[in-house]
This record gives sequence, structure tokens and C-alpha cells, in this order.
Amino acid sequence: MVGALAAFGAAAAPEGVLTFSDAEIRKILSHGPWPPPAAKDPSNRVSGNAAAIAWGETLFREPRLSVDRTVSCASCHQVQRSFADGLEKGQGLAPGDRNTPSVANVRLNRWFGWDGAGDSLWAQSLRPMLDPREMGSTVSKVAATVRANADLARGYRRVFGAAPPDDDEALAVDVAKALAAFQETIETGRTPFDEFRDALSRGDRAAAARYPLAAQRGLSIFIGKGQCDVCHVGPAFSNGEFHDVGVPHFIAAGRVDAGRYDGIGKLKASRHNLLGPYNDDASRGTATSTRHVEAQHRNFGEFKVPSLRNVARTAPYMHNGSLATLADAVRHYSDIDENRLHADGERILKPLNLTDAERADLVAFLESLDNPGR
Amino acid sequence: MNVRAAACVALCLPLYTGIAGACGSALSGPTRTVDGARYTVVFKTVPEPVKVGTHFAVDFAVCPRAPAETPSAVRVDANMPAHRHGMNYRPVVTARSGDLFRAEGLLFHMPGRWDLTFDVDAGGRTERLTSTLQLE
Repeated sequence: MVGALAAFGAAAAPEGVLTFSDAEIRKILSHGPWPPPAAKDPSNRVSGNAAAIAWGETLFREPRLSVDRTVSCASCHQVQRSFADGLEKGQGLAPGDRNTPSVANVRLNRWFGWDGAGDSLWAQSLRPMLDPREMGSTVSKVAATVRANADLARGYRRVFGAAPPDDDEALAVDVAKALAAFQETIETGRTPFDEFRDALSRGDRAAAARYPLAAQRGLSIFIGKGQCDVCHVGPAFSNGEFHDVGVPHFIAAGRVDAGRYDGIGKLKASRHNLLGPYNDDASRGTATSTRHVEAQHRNFGEFKVPSLRNVARTAPYMHNGSLATLADAVRHYSDIDENRLHADGERILKPLNLTDAERADLVAFLESLDNPGR
Repeated sequence: MNVRAAACVALCLPLYTGIAGACGSALSGPTRTVDGARYTVVFKTVPEPVKVGTHFAVDFAVCPRAPAETPSAVRVDANMPAHRHGMNYRPVVTARSGDLFRAEGLLFHMPGRWDLTFDVDAGGRTERLTSTLQLE
């Protein structure tokens, strides 16, 4: 089949489809199909539950879950900004140190947050409620809020089939699980790239030719000399892991963001990780990554590889929001300063020295990963 | 040689007399064989093939190629030589029935060439056996 596709690519070149080798076509096909099949999270007993999804959506916009009733999840994860906020760094009750990541397609993650301190979507959903700079609440206050407000208590009963429990932590975790159930449904739609990818898959030359040539050239760089697909893997365009990409991790004088290194420490120390008492998966099969992950020196200053779907809608870029545009991000990799990479770290990145035209093509490809979805 | 401190388990391997063909015969399905100076490792990945970003296990047997010391421990690890990094996960080796062992918790987070290593400790020395896996 791949051989036939290569032949198709060659034949179509004069009519608007670049020639891709068999290996290149296999790489392109690996970025789909989209969307991936729905799957429940076994660690969350209300994952996929319609009532939980509905209540979770309400809670997502619920400022009463913050300590001063002014901040909700939606304050930073804004639907009109593909569930990011457009700011350099997040702004809850106080300024944060990192760029707000989009929660679109968040269910596809293995780790959550730029440092991966969360190993489940529900654990990650609890964290901002308790962070003094985000929603500033406590487990006790979240629980008390749900118990004290009839609408929230009704929502809880509808989802979990019982009155809110007396155990504050169990109740707060359940709130987070409803929030997770909703966020699992936030998915970006199909994109021009997906149409091209599927056209290649079925050998539909006419449909493939509708994908702009600039985007095709950018795709060729992405899977070729750029080697972007070494980290931006699969349908979500992320391997879900962590790398040092030469972005300074100094926050301010005397303050450093240790990234993944600290994230693993927080993960291991958390009562809310998948090895803890709140994982609804009795087999703990969901906890394999948590059980085996270990902090290594090279994790210092590493941050998670973000998905590239809808990337054009989530500027600014990098963990600290330091790059304003997609063109800036492409230039960062084209001109990367190897002296900023760990001397004893991995050796993946090197300057690509892309021409102006190549950078523009790569941006065109990244922009073709766009669909507003919900 | 950068031997990462991967998890290990004390082993009580039978002292084979070096019939490599019988090594790992209890493993079902296709296997791969790695011969070192003193030991042979026969292994298969579970699942096979390995996919990028998906945890997998390695079922394996370690057999002396000639009368040799009983290994005291075996460690399993992997690295990408071209990228100069290993895995982000520490595999754990456990003894299974008979002469079989299982390493769990491996995950290759990138496509490309990975070197899967078996470090066999015996008689105060470590022999490293390496098998190369290519992931697309």
C-alpha cells in the first residue's frame, strides 16, 4: 500500500502534491487518524459519565471554587483562545511563572502540566484549585463550598449518587474528577492536514492536491531536515515527554524553574498520584508510568513537549511564553543556541539554518493544524 | 560506558553448561538472541513490536555460553546513542517461572535507534549485552 502511495505522490507532483518517499509517507500517516477513539480513564470512575461531563462543565466556569470567588478554570483556559489565555504567563490570583497550556485534547496526555507533576487529569484539575497563585483554595474550602451550596450539592449527588461525603479530601478529589470528565471531551476538530493525511492514506490525489503547497513543503521539513517529528510524535504531535530546548529557565534573580526535575519530585510526593488512595483503578495498571519514572539530572530545565494541534491559536509559546509568534518559535529552532542546552544533556537539537522561505513554509504547515473545534 | 543505576533483582539462575540453542526455549513466539563473551540473552518484547510512547515489557532468559559463574543480578535499560539519552523510566526486573525473567516499565519516547542493554553481574564483573531496536 505504501508503495502505491509513493507512486501516487510522484504522479501527482505536477498537479499540486509533492513527491514523498515511502518512509516519508509512513511518517505522515503516523500523525493520524484524527480524532483518536474515545477512551475512558480507568483511574476516574466518572470518566465518560454524561452527568459528570455536564457538571464538570459547570464547575469549569465556577468561581466559587476559588478562595475569593473570582477565579475559575475558565479564567485562564478560555474557549475562544483554544482553552489557553493568550498571556505570556498565567494570571490567577497572582502572576504565575509559566505560560498557560491549552487543555484542548488534554485527555491524550500521559503527564499533565509543563513539568508533568500530575499523572492524571483529575489530579491535575485539583492542583490549580489549591495553588495560592491560581485559585488559592484548600481541600477543606472546596469541600465546604460544595456542601454549602445547594446547586453544587445537587450536582454532586447527580453524578456520584450520594450526598457530598464528610471527608474533605475525598470530596475535593471527586470535584476534580468531574472537572476531568468534562475536559476529556474538549477536542479539536479535523484540520487541513488531517484531510491531506487521509487523502494520502486512501490514494485520493484530487483531495490531497487541495492541501496548500506551502504547507506540504513545511510538512516535508517537519518530517525531514527539521526532525520536528522526533518529539512531536503521533496524532497529537507530542511524545508527551520532556526536553530541554534551550529556553532559559531563570524566572528572576535567584529563581530558577527546574521544570521536569521538580515535577517528578512533586508527583512522587503527592497523595493524589495514581499510586495513591484516590485512583479508582484497583489494578493500578494506570500507574505504570508513575511507578517507573525517576528523576535524572538531565531533567533539570526540561519541559513538556506540547501538542501542535491548534497551535496557531495558543500564542505566545514555550513554557514561559517568551516567544510571541509561531514565526519566532520556528526561528528559535532554526537558530538554536547550543550553548544554552545542558552540557551533559541529550543531543537532539542543532541549528537548522532554515532559509526565510523554509521558515515560512514551516509556519504554513503549523497553521494547517488548525480547527477551532468546540 | 554509562551504566545507569537501573533497578535490578538478585537472581538464582541455573548454571547452564552452554547450550545456547536451549536458552529461552520457554519463551513463546519470535525471540531475539544476543551473544556476549560469557552469556547469551534470549528475549522478546511484550507487546511486539514496540510502539513509540507505549510502555512495554521484556521477557528474557540469561544463559552462560560455557560453564561460568551464576549471575548475581541482571539489569535492563535502554538508550539512544545518537541523542545521548536513555529512557525516562526505570525498568524493574522480576524472576518468573523457570529460568525466565521479565523487565517491566520500559518506554521509548522517540522514534529512531534504541539500544536495549542487559547488564549481567557475575563473579565481580559485569557483561553488557546489547540489542538494537529501530522504531518508526
